[in-house]
Order: sequence, then structure tokens, then C-alpha cells
Amino acid sequence: MIKNGSFYFAKSHEWIGKDSNNKYHIGISNFAQSELGDVVYISLPEAGKTYKKDGKIGEIESVKSVSEIYAPVDLKIISINSKLNDTPELVNQDPNGAGFIAEVEVLNTADISGLMDYNSYQTFIASHHE
Amino acid sequence: MDTAESKKTPLYDEHVKMGAKIVSFAGFFMPLYYKSIIEEHLNVRNNSGIFDISHMGEITIKGKDSSTFVDYVFTADVSKIGQGEIVYSLILNEKGGIIDDVTVFKFSENEYMVVVNAANTQKDFSWIHYIQTEFQKKGKDVTIENISDGIGLLSVQGPKSRDLVYPLISGVVKIGKCGLFNFNFKPKQVRELKHFEFSCAEFKDVNIEALISRSGYTGEFGFEIFVPAEKTVILWNYLLKNSHLSNLLPVGLGARDTLRFEAALPLYGHELDETINPYDAGLEKYLSDSKDFIGKEALKNIKNKEKRLIFFKLSGKQIPRHSQRILDENLKPIGCIASGTYSPSNKFPIGSAYISDSCVNPSFLRNFFIDIRGNFEKAEVVLPPFHRNTKTISSK
Repeated sequence: MIKNGSFYFAKSHEWIGKDSNNKYHIGISNFAQSELGDVVYISLPEAGKTYKKDGKIGEIESVKSVSEIYAPVDLKIISINSKLNDTPELVNQDPNGAGFIAEVEVLNTADISGLMDYNSYQTFIASHHE
Repeated sequence: MDTAESKKTPLYDEHVKMGAKIVSFAGFFMPLYYKSIIEEHLNVRNNSGIFDISHMGEITIKGKDSSTFVDYVFTADVSKIGQGEIVYSLILNEKGGIIDDVTVFKFSENEYMVVVNAANTQKDFSWIHYIQTEFQKKGKDVTIENISDGIGLLSVQGPKSRDLVYPLISGVVKIGKCGLFNFNFKPKQVRELKHFEFSCAEFKDVNIEALISRSGYTGEFGFEIFVPAEKTVILWNYLLKNSHLSNLLPVGLGARDTLRFEAALPLYGHELDETINPYDAGLEKYLSDSKDFIGKEALKNIKNKEKRLIFFKLSGKQIPRHSQRILDENLKPIGCIASGTYSPSNKFPIGSAYISDSCVNPSFLRNFFIDIRGNFEKAEVVLPPFHRNTKTISSK
């Protein structure tokens, strides 16, 4: 869904990416879902609401732990992925696709340049979590 | 627990090779899960699973006065069980608080083995050593030894676990040496073992002798296998190589916890600790009437339950966690969560809690709220276990 090469990552393990219609989506990284394990509940942000970069937009809960989800950039929620209400396991199965969190409007595109691209994120994970 | 001090079980490298998520638990680096807690959990309920539980502690008690000693240290009638039998028991302090919950294996009147919780191995050994010193001062013959480091412990659990174990062991039973142990009685055939009995298994092909018990911590039919530490890797890989016999999967501590909790089996540090007495925890059936034991005197003065353990389910999806507050329908705090988890068998959150408000009669409590990070989630009291048709109180 998201075009290859258009994923950008926050240090708190959320991604933001553009789909083929130039719409932005956010989600949590494959690394983050693998660290959490089986996701059983997600508290999603509210459609229409704006969030500041690094502000808490929701919670993601696995059998063993609960983590906060942060806005990777200043953003407004256009719509949430309501499938996650009944099938939160989509985040484990397809974190970069069907398990996305929300479609968003980026309020400050300059924020994106402060995020990591795929390769930098892989280096970041390797240096912080091995 | 400081991870820098954590020990490794003999199987640590195998867990890493299989891609397990490793966590520090009770002073050991242990697998939390290999692929998925939920998948591993359901596979134990439907097929079978193998767990590395080598972190658990083993303490032997030997000598002519062992039977008198175990009856004094443990709350249950330990010496009354037969050779080759196991009993669940508590160890209490002098105030009646729970030091640990353990299983005791009887080899003879002069020899027992205690299996203790990993986090409590040192504490239990020090306590038992203290009592042993008192006994020795009175001229009694008791020696104790912490043999934990020499033992690898595997648990094979699930309805199909017998389909794995039976074909892989020879039918020979004999008196004498069995791996690290010495059987001075003729043990039963493994196939004839009933729950809480043990024997000696000789695993074919790999020629490993190990003590095997019909026991576990999942609520399913299963075995626990005590193998010399240096042979643990060989036996683990041998059992996994034969996984097709029982649809066996390796299972981590995550599913060990969800499985034990669905079966309403207590976990030390959650349902049990030194501030909780056996009445609070609903474990009075493990207190012997017919002998003296440490803590018995103090329990006589506990007329009313100070706390009471209840079990519940949630209609919401957020998972309750240890130490969160529970509130009555007027949002007045009445107690704390002991354990909370997601139930893979039911697909909803479940938990246990201690009611500590003496004004609340737990028998009449039906619904209450849990303060989950500021959200008041409604909970309904149920009768465990959770893995077989959970009943609500009103449908009792």
C-alpha cells in the first residue's frame, strides 16, 4: 500500500508513509510489533483530532506488555483503521500494510526530514537493541 | 532483577538459535516466546508443548530424621505419601505468611526432593538450612543440598504429550541409579503413572536416564523431566526432533503464565507472598490437621480472612495488570489485582484480585471496576478455571 522507499521512522518506532494516492498513513514498525508479541488491544486516536509530534495518540497492548503510540510528526487524523478494533493481530501480521493505524494529514512536512529512512532505522535498531 | 546477574539455563543457546524473545526472569535469561504466546498457548491446550523450566530450584533432604523434618517445614502431610509420590505444599514463616509454594517428591522415609520457584531458591534454601541447623542441634540426622545447578528440567504438557513421551522411552524399570537420582524402590512403568507420581524414564536412541513425573503447571495432562544438566540439550533436541508424534512446539514463559492462570494455579509474587496467608489465598486444604508445622500456631489466631482472592473476567479489551486497584460500584477502592492477562482460550481479559476491604463480602460481589491507567473497566466475578467452561457466580 505504502510505496517502497517512502517509509520514514521515529525513534519511538512509528512509521509514516505515502501511498500511491499521495495520502499519508502511520503505523508501528515491524521491529516494534516483533518486540511486543501478540497484540490483543489497540486504543486508537480520534478521527479529526490533531496531535503534536511526539504526543501520545494511543496505546498498543500485547499479552505481556502495554506501550504508547506517539505521533511521528505534527498531524491530523483523517480516519482510523477500524479493522484493528476486532482484529488487532493485523499489526503483527502486516505492520506496514493492513495493520496501519490511521490515515493522516501532515501538518508540518518539514517534520518528516527529521525522521529516519529505512536504512537509518535499521542501523538505529541494531545499535540500540542488540 | 538486574539482568547483568542473570544466569543461563543449559538450553540458553538453543533458545537463541530458535529465535526466541529472551527476557530476564527470576535471575535467569529465559525464552518469553518463540513465535507467539497465543499460538504456543493454544498448541498446549490442543496438542502439546515443551518448556525449558530449568530455572526452577531443586533441594534434596536426606537422613534418618528426614520425615520428621519435612513434616515440620512443610504444611501438607508430606511423610504420609508413598515412595514415588509427590505432594503440593506451602512453606510458611512463623507468622503464617507464605515463603513459597513447592512440590515435594518422596524417594523414601530418609530421602525427599523439593522443587521450588526459581525466584525463591536461595531464600528457601536459607530458610530450610536454618531449620536444619536447629534440628542438628537437637541431635537429629538431616542433611540438605541445593542441587539446582546440576539439573535441567523440561516440561512436556498437553493432551497429546503422552504420544510423544511413551514411544520414546524403553519399558525397563529398575531399582537403583536413574540419572542423578537413586531409586531405592521399584518405580512404576511411566505409562502407569497417575497425576503426582514419578518414575525413571530411559530415553531410547539418546540413552539418557531421567526422573519423570506426571505433573505440570498448565491444567493439562503432562510430564516434567529432571535430566542431568549436561544432557539437557541432547534430550531437548531429541524430543523436538520427534515433534511430529504430538504436534509439539517449544513454549516460552509467556504462555506458561497464561496457561497456569487459566487453570487458576497460583504464581508466587502474584497470588502468593509473605504478606498473604493460606486462608487469604484459598489454599487451606494444603494445611495438615494432624501434625505441627512452622506457622501453624500463628494461623490459629487468624480468625477472619484479612484478604480474599477472587477471579474475574472483563467485557472490555484492556488487560488488567498486577497491582492495579479494584473499585466497587461507587468507585471506592476495595483491593488490588494479583494477576491479569489475556485468555487465549476465551479471547478476553481475565484476572485475579485480592479484596482487602473488610466491609466488602466477596460472596456477594458480582461486578466491580478496575482502574486500568485511568480507565474504569467493568469486571465480572467468575469461578475458575477459565479453560473449561467458565461459570459466572450467578450460574453456579
